[in-house]
Amino acid sequence: MLQMNNVSKVYQTEMVQTHALRDFNLHVNEGEFIAVTGPSGSGKTTFLNIAGMLEPFNEGEYLLDGVDVGRLNDNQRADLRNQKIGFIFQGFNLIPDLNLYENIEVPLRYRGIKANERKRRIEQCLEQVGLASRAKHIPQQLSGGQQQRVAIARALAGEPRFLLADEPTGNLDSLMARQVMELLEQINRDGATIVMVTHDSELARRAPRNIQVVDGQLADFTLYQGAQTIKTASGV
Amino acid sequence: MFIHYLDLSWRSFKRTPLVSFLMVLAIAIGIGITMTSLSVYHMMSADPIPEKSSQLYSVQLQTMDDGSTWWTEDNMPLQLTYQDAENLLNAPTSEKKVAMMRTGFSVYLDSDKIKPFIGNARMTTPDFFSMFNLSFLYGGAWSKEQENSAAPVVVITKEINDKLFAGQNSVGELIYLDDASYQVVGVINHWPLNIKYYDLNNGAFNQVEELFMPFSLIKAKELVSWGNSNGWKHENTPTFADKLQSEQVWIQFWAELNTLEQKKVYQNYLLAYMQEQQKRGRFNRKELEYKLRDVNQWMQYNNVVTEDNKILVGLSFMFLGVCLANILGLLLAKFLRRAPEVGVRRALGASKRQIFLQHLVEVAMLGFIGGMLGIVLAQLGLMGVGQSYDYYENLATMDLTMLLSAPLIAITTCILAGLYPAWLVCKTNPAIYLKSQ
Repeated sequence: MLQMNNVSKVYQTEMVQTHALRDFNLHVNEGEFIAVTGPSGSGKTTFLNIAGMLEPFNEGEYLLDGVDVGRLNDNQRADLRNQKIGFIFQGFNLIPDLNLYENIEVPLRYRGIKANERKRRIEQCLEQVGLASRAKHIPQQLSGGQQQRVAIARALAGEPRFLLADEPTGNLDSLMARQVMELLEQINRDGATIVMVTHDSELARRAPRNIQVVDGQLADFTLYQGAQTIKTASGV
Repeated sequence: MFIHYLDLSWRSFKRTPLVSFLMVLAIAIGIGITMTSLSVYHMMSADPIPEKSSQLYSVQLQTMDDGSTWWTEDNMPLQLTYQDAENLLNAPTSEKKVAMMRTGFSVYLDSDKIKPFIGNARMTTPDFFSMFNLSFLYGGAWSKEQENSAAPVVVITKEINDKLFAGQNSVGELIYLDDASYQVVGVINHWPLNIKYYDLNNGAFNQVEELFMPFSLIKAKELVSWGNSNGWKHENTPTFADKLQSEQVWIQFWAELNTLEQKKVYQNYLLAYMQEQQKRGRFNRKELEYKLRDVNQWMQYNNVVTEDNKILVGLSFMFLGVCLANILGLLLAKFLRRAPEVGVRRALGASKRQIFLQHLVEVAMLGFIGGMLGIVLAQLGLMGVGQSYDYYENLATMDLTMLLSAPLIAITTCILAGLYPAWLVCKTNPAIYLKSQ
């Protein structure tokens, strides 16, 4: 599903060169649920942005579902992102002027889906996150947990095969965080591949596979299989 | 998607009503001022008879002896002498032609119900009406015979007919001009002419005359010109007959030449005429010279649209530029404040092109609203201009072209102003805003 080979990302200013990712290698298989942990500034978000094609990388190769991302232009990347990737952000990133229905509609419009089909999908997704009755509410009228569920519904509406979540529970209390996590697990069971960046080690342990990023490189790799824990240095 | 972009633009308008209103106001003021000056310029420079302006030619003859000068750019007198006009009228050529002169009369009826008033008259030949595309409400032009016999007949305008005869068919009625009676033979329809191109003496934007009468009456009644009479040498003209035979120029002359062949024949005729006149001691020049200018060339030659008008239009566009510079600043602030939302849209699959288009639609909508408000302001401006001078009354209007141009100019200029802000916002890195929002 996702394959990064020796991907490097350097942020360059006049004075400083910062290696956010260096020779980063990771293979994610279809249907996996991966938690990405690491200290602040380690490169987790950069990895997620590159995975979501929101930022270019300097070196290496990135294949998403077999497509070489490095060879795509902006329009092609936007299309690929729209069709294959769903985003969930820590700050929810709902558009404040749009009601829930319209927020969820945004990615569907960019994909050119017809109004009837959009309506079907939006209602289904709102149902799935338990907010069907709030379709006409604007984000400000909802709690943080509800807003994150809307963001998840928005990510799901495009029926993506790949979900990228950046600290999805970072702004939520523990009860809401647990509800959101359960929702993500359900989505994963339904077939979506999920990569979740988190600081919360307890939350990370609920993901079947953990990776740790330190100084822009994959430092540790843990696979939880029931009661068994397997540690490896490889990202594969 | 366009409708969706319009919806988003309207929401954006409502989200920041003050900034949006300021932008619309800036566009409206810029467009209002620009369209006011542009409309006047447009009406001044518009082809007054587009269907045949390239077939109607003003005739100029170089009557001056060598060494004499005139104030025109090519040293040519603007009008003809009476004798040349009469000779050209009687020429055995097939084209339509008119000689004419402006004069005036005290107009009254044999009735105490209508107060006498001063009426402007055009002494001309019967071809005048068909050459300049005038149409008749009642009756028609006087006949060739009436022209030749200096018959006391008159064609009046609809306005005069309304005033004197309450709009009734007045053909056959008598009206009094100075001390003589004249029979009405025709009433012309309203003739909305912004530029009095057929006689640019005494102002290009004056009203057309109310009375049209046979050219031959000039001689018969010894009518003096209410236009310009110019001479280039000292001549003693104690009697009217002397004036008619003098080298003073005071008659306008036009010919309708429908084909190049006809024009060529007429040019040859003019040369032959001048050569023949040379034998009689006139046109004492080494090189004979004449000019045939069509309507638009004639207007340009006579500087109908002055340099001042052009400068005014230029200044108003510069003012629009200043307004747009302000809009550009406001747009930059508005769009860049929206960068986080743009980041979200980009993450959700919007391409840079889609973001760019969305913002261009928004500025186009601002331009459209500003353009509409600008039309209202332009109307107020034109009302002000129209009231400043009588002759601006017809010119200070917006025709359909200008009405359609206003929103088009507003939208185009707004899009130009919005290109940079829209480009800037679409190329922002979404990743920066997604984390920080």
